[in-house]
This record gives sequence, C-alpha cells and structure tokens, in this order.
Amino acid sequence: MSLNRDALVAVFFLLLCAVMFIASMNLPEAMFGQMSPALWPRIILVPLTLLSALLLVQSQRVPVEEGAASKKTLAGWWEHNKNPIICFALFFLFLITMPIAGMLLGGLVYVFLTLCVLGGWEPRKLALHAAISLVFVVGMWAIFTQLLGVLLPEGEILRVY
Amino acid sequence: MGLFENLATAAPELFTIKTMILMMVGTMAGLIAGAIPGFTIAMAVVLVLPFTFSMTPVEGLATMIAVYVGGLSGGLMSGILTGIPGTPSSVATTFDGYPMARSGKPGLALGIGVWASFFGGVIASVVLMIVAPQLALIGLEFQPVDYFSLILFALTVTASMAGDQILKGLMAALLGLLISTVGSDVVFGLPRFTFGVDAAAQGFAFLPVLVGLFAFSRLLGDVRTSEKAHQRLGGEEAHAVHIDYLGSAREVLRRWGNVIRSSLIGVFVGVLPAAGSTISNILAYDQAKKTSKESDKFGTGAIDGIIAPEAANNATAGGALIVMMALGLPGDIMTAIMLGALLIHDVIPSPSFITDEPQIAYSIFLAFFVANFMMLFMQSFTLRAFVLVTKVKMYMLTAVILFYCSVGIFSLNNITYDMWTLFIFGIIGFVIRALGFPIVPMVLGVVLGGIAEARLSQVFARSDDILVFISRPWSLFFLLLGCFSLLFPYYQKQAKTAVWARFFVPALLIVQSIPVLMMPGIVRPSVAIIMAVTGLVMAAYRLKFRGDPPATERSKQTS
Repeated sequence: MSLNRDALVAVFFLLLCAVMFIASMNLPEAMFGQMSPALWPRIILVPLTLLSALLLVQSQRVPVEEGAASKKTLAGWWEHNKNPIICFALFFLFLITMPIAGMLLGGLVYVFLTLCVLGGWEPRKLALHAAISLVFVVGMWAIFTQLLGVLLPEGEILRVY
Repeated sequence: MGLFENLATAAPELFTIKTMILMMVGTMAGLIAGAIPGFTIAMAVVLVLPFTFSMTPVEGLATMIAVYVGGLSGGLMSGILTGIPGTPSSVATTFDGYPMARSGKPGLALGIGVWASFFGGVIASVVLMIVAPQLALIGLEFQPVDYFSLILFALTVTASMAGDQILKGLMAALLGLLISTVGSDVVFGLPRFTFGVDAAAQGFAFLPVLVGLFAFSRLLGDVRTSEKAHQRLGGEEAHAVHIDYLGSAREVLRRWGNVIRSSLIGVFVGVLPAAGSTISNILAYDQAKKTSKESDKFGTGAIDGIIAPEAANNATAGGALIVMMALGLPGDIMTAIMLGALLIHDVIPSPSFITDEPQIAYSIFLAFFVANFMMLFMQSFTLRAFVLVTKVKMYMLTAVILFYCSVGIFSLNNITYDMWTLFIFGIIGFVIRALGFPIVPMVLGVVLGGIAEARLSQVFARSDDILVFISRPWSLFFLLLGCFSLLFPYYQKQAKTAVWARFFVPALLIVQSIPVLMMPGIVRPSVAIIMAVTGLVMAAYRLKFRGDPPATERSKQTS
C-alpha cells in the first residue's frame, strides 16, 4: 500500500467516521414516534465511509506524484506553508490574548505583526505597517463601536467603555 | 395582489434617500471589489454583511444586492484593461475585451461590457419578478419529503461541478452536512457530538463557518509565498480611460438577439444549484460564437464576444435569486450569504415568503432592478478608484481583511465563540483546499444540513413509510435528477467517445418523464408525454446509427 496524500486523507476520513459513529451510539433512541437524534448523522456517515473507502482504493491506483520533491522534505513543506501557518498562529495569539489586550490593542498588534511577517521588517516598511494598522484598526473599531453600536471586547489593559 | 400593486407597495420602502445612498455605496464597493483579481464577489458581500446588522431588512438586503450586482460588473474593468479577470465570472470577457482594448479601443470595449451587463441585469430582474412568484406557487406544493430530496439534488449538483474530483466533491458535501450536526439536534434540542465541550452545544453559526471556509482560507492561500504576497492587486497595466457610452450602446442594441439569448442562458444557469456566473459566462460566449456569422473574429476583439459573457454573468444573479426567493434554498455561496442576512433580520424565506412578506420580497426584486442602473452610471467614477486600488499589495489587503472578518463575525452575536469558529474553519478550509477538495459543496452542506434534518424529521413525524421518497412525484423527480447529475461529469468527459454517453440525454428525458407524468393536472402529464416521446425518438435515432452519428452529422461536427 502506498501512502500518498489521498490515502492519508481517506484513512483520516475513515477514522473520523468511526469516531462519529461510536459517538452516535451515546445519543438517545427515537422517542414519541420522532426521529432519533442519531439517525441523520448515521445517514451521512454511511455514504461518507463508503466514499472514503473508495478514495482509499482510488489512491492506490494513481501513480505517485512526481515533481513535488521539494514539498516532501520538511524544509520544503515549511517554505511552502510558512506564511499561512504564521498567520494562523498570530490569529490564535490574537484570540487567546483577547481578554487581556481586547479587540483594539490586540487588533493593532495582530495587524501590525501580520503585515510585518508577510511584508518585511525593513525600517521604512515598519513605519508604513504601523500607519496602516493604526488607520484601519482604529477606524474599524470606531465604526463598529460608535456608528454601529457594537460593544467590541475590551481587555484588562485598556478599558474604553 | 398583482405584480404592479406589490411593486407599488414596496417602492416607498426602497426609494428612500438613505437606502439609495447605501445602494450607491454598495454598488461602488462591489465594482471595486469585483475589479480586483483574486478578490471574489462573495468576499465583498461577506465584508458588507456586518454593516447591515443595524439596518432594516430592506436597507440591508438592498445594499448587499447592490454589492452583488456591482461585483458582477466590476470584473470586466480589470478583464478588459489588464487581461486578468477580476472575478471568475468575467473570464470569457477577457477573450475579446482585452484584444479590443489592446487594439486602441478600450473605451468602446468597456462601454460594450457595461451596457451588456446592464441589459443582462435588467432582463434578469424582469424574469425574476415574473418567475419567482410562479415558482413559489409550485413550491407551495412541496411537502417536507420533496424539500429533502431537493436538498439532496442541490448537493449532488454542487459535487458534480467538481468535475474530475466528483468523489472529493461528494465527500466535501457530506463533511459539510456532518459539521452541521454538531450542537443541538433539531428534534429534541439535545447536545450532539460536543465531546465534552460545553460551548459546542450551541453548534456552529453558519456565517462564521462560511467566512472561515471561504474567505479566510482563500486569503491565506493568496499570500502563501513571498512573491505572491508582494504582488500588486491589479498588475501594472491598469489605467483610467474614457468610457464610450453612446457608441457602445449603439453597438449593443444592434446585437439585441445576442443580448437576450445570453441573458436567458445566464438566468437558466443561475436557477441551477451551484452553477453560477463562472459557468454562465463561458456557456454564453460559446453559444454566441457558435451562432455568430463572424465566429472567426472571436478572440481578436469581437463585439459579440464581450456582450455574451457580460450579459450572462449579470443575469445569473437574477436566476439565483429566483430559487432563493421562491423556495428559500440557497443554490450558491452568494445566495447562502443572502439567506444568512435574511435570517439575521428574522426573515425566513420559504415558498410563502413572497405572499407573506410582499414588501420585503418585492423590495428585493426592485433593488436588483435599480442596482443595474446604478452600476451603469457608476462605472466611470469607479474606474479611477479601481486604478488606485490596483497599486495596493496583496499582503496589506490580507492583513486588514483578516482583522475585519474577525470584527464582523464577532458583531454577529457579540460572542468570541464565533471568532474561534472562524479560526477553526479557516484552518479546515485551508487544509481541505490544499488537499484538493472543493469548498463550495462543503459550505452548502453546512448551510443546508440543518434544513435537511428538519425536513427529514417532519417526514418521519408524518409516517414511517420510506417509500414516500419515491411515491411523491416531486421527490422522485429530484432524486432521479440527482442520480443523473452524479453521472454528468462522466458524460461530459466521454460525450464524444463512449457509446453510452450518446444515450444520456434520451435516458434523462425518458426517466424524468415518469415523475412528471405522476403529477396532477393536464399540463404536466402532457409535458411528460412530450419528454418521453422526444427521448424515445432520440434514442431510436441513435440506436439506428449504433451510437455513432450519421455521416452528415459527423461532417457537420468536423466542419
């Protein structure tokens, strides 16, 4: 069995189906002539399992992809996905620090760091990125809080309301 | 009430100064967003959505429709001036628009595109106003079982649009349905698949899921490498030109046949689930080329080659709105977002929506009509703004929009849980996209999952007999159509080589005539007989030639 990308995906889906199917066993059975909460998920899981098995079979017939050697090494993979992974990590930090920094301060830091990670850290660019962060984050924060009346989360560091 | 009385009732609601200003701003935003390559119309509508929360339903929906119409027309600016389509719905516009602009007539090319978009939109809005209420009347016949089958059909069509990747398309649709089961079940409200996480009991609101899967993952895909991140949005070629409105209007009106045909193709494609303007513009271009006396000029700056895709892509919006307004079911990402906007304003589209809420329904029809006029007059102003926006680098837009998405999603329910949903589905969308799975079936699965389960529970509440799925004509009709749509990618692939593919259309006509024959009245059974006879004649004709076309037909195809 060759472990290509589709094969791994198919195995993941098969495991997911197994977990969900087992979880559906804990759901109550049908009551008062109504549909059981487990029925609809099982209706979905049966074809999903079959299609995942089909994908597994199909993945064994497809010749191994060539020309993607650089992506196969860890360094190549990192190079290919570096930007999105860092952006996701920054967004995670933005969310996790929300109770402390709040939407305004957290947003300023998040946008500034994302701009620098994607655009570069040269001094001239730093100034530009700082200006963009300030204008857009404060601008949007003002529109939502003052104009639309949405109380965006405030942090422990900066109480604004 | 008749059409005109309903329109008269809706007009005062729509034609307020505030709504008109909002629509103008929306049209402008849509035109600019549509003109930026890589920035989809759906993303523009998603970004506008949070601003509509504090508006009335009519104001909010009119603004979103203005963005939608503007976005569909905006793609032609970059397509014609830079050769890079602003949106997938303007791909075919570049085939002739760009060569015409390069030959020294950019103003004429833009004018033709603008007028064609305008006429396409106007024709579609007329069809929308006439057809949607009639389709809603048919929708009133639908029972829960018919709705359930219709949803299955919509999902199979969406998956089949993935072409060679139909297997992954189906899996994505099923994964979307599975995601929609997390939270409380629709019958008893009991927590389901929460795995001990209390917050998960509220399930996933579909807008954060939609934005995460669609916008978030796409934006990060656009800045994957440093080179891509530093690219300017519209290349280096964009420059402001004067649009030749008068000369182009004459050229477009002279080709009214092409305008009407392409618009109707657009409406028809829009009605089909998942088949949006990405397909309609190519289809209309192809038909225009086949029927044109000057088909050899296509690709070198033919006027018909600009008219067809632009009329079709704007008309597609009307077709998509027909289904959403009449049946309450979104067929694509755009109408899914519209549905979300309606639900936020406590307006639940269903077959009785047009009769129960005529003011809102007809305001939407009118807004679609009016937005086309706004688009026509705002192209010139927007062209200058577009040239400025093209200088912005991709990474700047990405960073700002990612933050904006999170603010917008928070303001949906004022809870940070939705932002976590956005984050998680952003990752899922990014990974799923990277693994070659189409996103649209998954999004529609999430949106339609809850509706499907609710309908299914209604089916079981009425009866345990599962034969109802094939004994109800509409249900059988959609289930059979779903089966054919699953075979469609293989038919497309083997249409010219496999013998079986030559019998695909006759078989479709014969099989679909069975449920139509089961329907009440005289008209529909008569249509069924015509369908069956046509199918049989086609099959007999093809059998006579053993699946091969006759020599005359072959020579026609060759020529």
